[in-house]
Amino acid sequence: MVMKNIGLIFSAALIGGAMLISAAPASAKEKAADNYKLYCVQCHGTKGIGRGINAPALSVQPRNHVSATDMGQLTDDSVFKAIKEGGVAVGKSTQMPPFGAILSDDEVKEMVAHLRGMCKCEGKK
Amino acid sequence: MTKILALAISALFVTAGAGFAADGKALVDSNKCGSCHKMTGPAVKTIAEVLARKAPDLFYAGSKFNKDWLVKFLQAPTTLRPAGTVYVNLITLEGDQDVVKNPPKCASKLSAGDAAAVADYLMTLTDASMKTGVFKKQDIKKAKARVVMMKDEACNACHVFPGKGGGVSCPTFEGIGERLNPDWMYSFIQNPQHWDPKVWMAKRDFDDATLQLMVNFLLDAD
Repeated sequence: MVMKNIGLIFSAALIGGAMLISAAPASAKEKAADNYKLYCVQCHGTKGIGRGINAPALSVQPRNHVSATDMGQLTDDSVFKAIKEGGVAVGKSTQMPPFGAILSDDEVKEMVAHLRGMCKCEGKK
Repeated sequence: MTKILALAISALFVTAGAGFAADGKALVDSNKCGSCHKMTGPAVKTIAEVLARKAPDLFYAGSKFNKDWLVKFLQAPTTLRPAGTVYVNLITLEGDQDVVKNPPKCASKLSAGDAAAVADYLMTLTDASMKTGVFKKQDIKKAKARVVMMKDEACNACHVFPGKGGGVSCPTFEGIGERLNPDWMYSFIQNPQHWDPKVWMAKRDFDDATLQLMVNFLLDAD
């Protein structure tokens, strides 16, 4: 009887746990171009040149992603880190937020590749 | 006998009054609020679905909003999101600069009575998983909160601060204390993706003290 009750308690706990987990929405993996559109364009702009709708309010001009000169000075690792952990993590502005809770590591890697496509440049070695 | 008659008549009026009271759910349906707002959960989980969104989700309106504000808003909506619900859908170019001009406003123009009935209904739409009683009203130093929110975390990159300006891709902080339930603010800042998995507000790992500071500031931001 005691074992049965313990079993019931465990089952209830498991079901409760599963309900809690399912209450937190899972995020689907997206294409880099779509992630760029939703998360980056607000500051970096539809052309990727740093002229997004928020840019006039920022104290630091958002990076120009199509500039091979600017983007070529950055390593892929530092771009990855800036996207995942935010600008502060690479010694830049707090106005670049950390997207690590929204984008998976795979999505961040694909975003780095997407940015390399935009600037038509390679990362600094 | 006279007393009994008076009571009977009163009871009749009360019953009739209840019968005449507007039905908030019926008004939401007849005004087709669901054609723009998502009225039932769960939240959408893909960018394609976000881009198709016309207006904010309302299936947790009772957790999010203050009822008194809803009653006012439903009679005369104002613009809360300077660049619209999904900013990226409304961008045009002025030279090389992205801009959003004249985002669509909520079309609601309810009477005071109907607005109260709809607000009553919306307040029943809650997220049972949200913790309540989390927010603690405190006397805070606004200057300290501004440093945290405008310098350390740069909330003003995307939100307008009253009298200070700011970015436009997210809802304005003007009137936010009147508009939102502080427990919901706490929960949303703590984990925006719990409420909207693809929302463009990044999640940070704020401790309770920082969340309390921010929400206390927002309650009296104007």
